[in-house]
Amino acid sequence: MSIYMEGILMQMGINILMAYSAFIILATGQLSLGNAGFMAIGAFCSGYLTVRLGIPLPIALILSALLSSLVGVALGIPVLRIRGFFLVLGTLGFGETVRAFFINFEPTGGAYGMRGLFGTTFEMVLLTVVAVTIGLWRIEQSRIGRAFDAVAADEDAAQGAGVNVRAVKVMAFGIGAFIAGLAGGLSAHHLLYVEPGHFSFLVSAMAVLFVILGGMQTFWGAMLGAVIFSLLPEMLRFMEDWRLSVYGAALIILMILRPNGLLSRVFLRNIAMKFQF
Amino acid sequence: MLAQQLVNGILLGSTYALIALGLTLVLGVFGKLNIAHGDVFMFGAFAGVAAASFGASLALAILAGIFVSAVVNVIIERSCFYPLRNAHFLAPMLSTIAFGILLQNVATQIWGSDPSRYPNIEAVTQFEIGGILLSSVHIVILAVSFSVMLTVDIVIYRTKIGRALRATALDPEVAGLLGVNTKNVMFITFLTAGALAGVAGVLTAVVYSQISPLIGIRQGLIGMVAMVIGGLGNLRGAMIGGILIGLVEVLNDAYLDASYRDLIVFSLFFGFIILKPNGLFPQPSGNRS
Repeated sequence: MSIYMEGILMQMGINILMAYSAFIILATGQLSLGNAGFMAIGAFCSGYLTVRLGIPLPIALILSALLSSLVGVALGIPVLRIRGFFLVLGTLGFGETVRAFFINFEPTGGAYGMRGLFGTTFEMVLLTVVAVTIGLWRIEQSRIGRAFDAVAADEDAAQGAGVNVRAVKVMAFGIGAFIAGLAGGLSAHHLLYVEPGHFSFLVSAMAVLFVILGGMQTFWGAMLGAVIFSLLPEMLRFMEDWRLSVYGAALIILMILRPNGLLSRVFLRNIAMKFQF
Repeated sequence: MLAQQLVNGILLGSTYALIALGLTLVLGVFGKLNIAHGDVFMFGAFAGVAAASFGASLALAILAGIFVSAVVNVIIERSCFYPLRNAHFLAPMLSTIAFGILLQNVATQIWGSDPSRYPNIEAVTQFEIGGILLSSVHIVILAVSFSVMLTVDIVIYRTKIGRALRATALDPEVAGLLGVNTKNVMFITFLTAGALAGVAGVLTAVVYSQISPLIGIRQGLIGMVAMVIGGLGNLRGAMIGGILIGLVEVLNDAYLDASYRDLIVFSLFFGFIILKPNGLFPQPSGNRS
């Protein structure tokens, strides 16, 4: 495999993880436009651990994802109070606050960030994506997955049926932040450096767009969205300088044509039926 | 010293107020968030700079900015909001994010990614009033932005069009039944919001002289901060919120450190949403969250 191809596939893997992190929060009927903040925490924390303390990358990744998850739970609790636009704006504000925090945080290099990160391999990204996919698949099949569905469909009814709605919503933020933290750590060690400018709100927005366009009913939709929209800019290379403009236009047109995403559960079930006898 | 900082803060804040006003108009009337609003502002700024570099006067440059931004905003309404009017409330919002990406890249292709400069304005005179330094350009900018805000306020609260707009904001269906042409209201709202962003864009280009295709991302976010602090959906609140943010930024730069600017503004924003989501001036009726 060429280095070029490997680079694209690694970026795709990181995008899939970001889409998953947005998906798991959307699966409880919430929305986070601040996942770049969790990604930043994963990236800076793992970078600090590997560069400054010399801790091996896999351990650093897990530790920083756990820290990110903790922050996710800490964000999940206050945002229980808000919904709709306030949730959109509040999570957006969180992401920007984290970015601004790292601009002023000297231990991780302030606005210049850190150099000298390395160690993300293709196998490592692949393994993480497979492990997280299996984890999400297990969650979807389990009681927790059904609780997520119930909360997304009707909070009051779910509460009435004995689902602990608050715990489910906070848990979604914790899991989403964990996955975004992994994505951030892998991405920073793939790019060989990390700086606060990497984690603008556009990163969070793209993660949500992947999910919406792929289909937000199942995590396969999130994966499909991330795969298609990581490859699209590469396929548009022949457009040269205009490719990102065309990319933006393609997203708008797709949104008009399929506002509910490409994959739905009914569609998946129909496919599954065809292969059953 | 402090008086000078306050004047600078109001100057900066008045452009934020214009951005927040446009965002609030769209959110108040439709209950929809236009995330590309900052990029509409950026397009207007570039249009003004382009006009000025062809020798247009400041007034003509502002008109060019108004025209381009208004047209772009109407295109956003046609491509992101109208086709998705019955979809989930997230769909049009995410669509405008894609539109923002489109605008940033189109601007890069037309004007380049290096910062563009507004040509120096000749015949600038400096005034000193009670120890406060003010240039004639600053006075023009304050005059333009405050007269635009006053005009919008009068139109919204004193005229028939304004009444139609406020009725649509309260309940589009009932307003439609009572004879308001809600389709027209939609058009006028986006046109006005775009025009306001265009004015803000050209004024910002004149004061800070440098603009780049990515300038709109932060400006749009600051507009949202001002909108929330002023009370989501409250037009006068949004204007006051914009000026407050301008003051906070300038005072931070003067007495603390410029690098704390975003940290202070965005933690204030986050704090408001969690602790006081209705802002300083809660909208009495029609809470659209």
